[in-house]
Amino acid sequence: MGLDDIPLLAMLKSKMSYVNAREQVVAQNVANADTPGYTPQDLKPFSFAAMTEAAGAGLIVDQPGQMALSKSTKTGALKPVDTPDTEARIDGNQVVLEDQMNKLIQSRIDYETAVDFYQQSMSMITTAARAPGKSA
Amino acid sequence: MADPLINATLGIAASALQAQQARMRVIAENLANADSVSTTAGGDPYQRQISVFAPEEVQKGATGVKMTGVRPDATPFTIVHDPGNPAANANGDVKLPNVDPLTEALDMKEAQRAYEASLNVITTVRSMQMKTLNILTQQGG
Repeated sequence: MGLDDIPLLAMLKSKMSYVNAREQVVAQNVANADTPGYTPQDLKPFSFAAMTEAAGAGLIVDQPGQMALSKSTKTGALKPVDTPDTEARIDGNQVVLEDQMNKLIQSRIDYETAVDFYQQSMSMITTAARAPGKSA
Repeated sequence: MADPLINATLGIAASALQAQQARMRVIAENLANADSVSTTAGGDPYQRQISVFAPEEVQKGATGVKMTGVRPDATPFTIVHDPGNPAANANGDVKLPNVDPLTEALDMKEAQRAYEASLNVITTVRSMQMKTLNILTQQGG
């Protein structure tokens, strides 16, 4: 049984992958803040069920020690969709930098929360795995 | 092995930084030539340039931006009457460049904002990466 079989850790890991993918989409929007006709994109809101479905489309693991590669970066749960910001400019560009910065900050907070949870869980597992009577 | 998603994000932000710097260069050229009249009598002076951006793929599935070139600004030139000027035509009129320093200053501010936004993206991604690596150092403690 690997760490990924523990539902809590699998959930946190998929949340972190989601945030990484969202950061890429936000970076793309910011980079194209002056390109005429560009519509900003975003990912659909995070849902653990959708992420496990997408991950299930990866390779089949049938030998111990093999890692299943995730193919979920552009399919299903992690596919970017057009999400225009609150204003549009004359040349058709619809990126508002403040909205994008908000998304960036929110993603970072989500990510750091997930990492902190992960660390807590790992230290609980380590405590449980310690031999009785030993302190380290 | 580096996370390809992180690298793609940094690549996108880096392309944005380069594009905004190229835009600054065009703005600097416009400002420097704001008074450049023609060297021949009756000829056209310096024409203001506008930078053109287009999306460009930096990595598979990651679209950054690139300044693909400049195009001339079609705003008509200001005409002043200055017969003593070497660039004056037969009527004594001189065409001045269509560069407005106020427009250039505003454009410069916008380029700076976009540049700082991409810098923010790089800083955020980097701190997320460092925080992830910290899991290794603090776990079990």
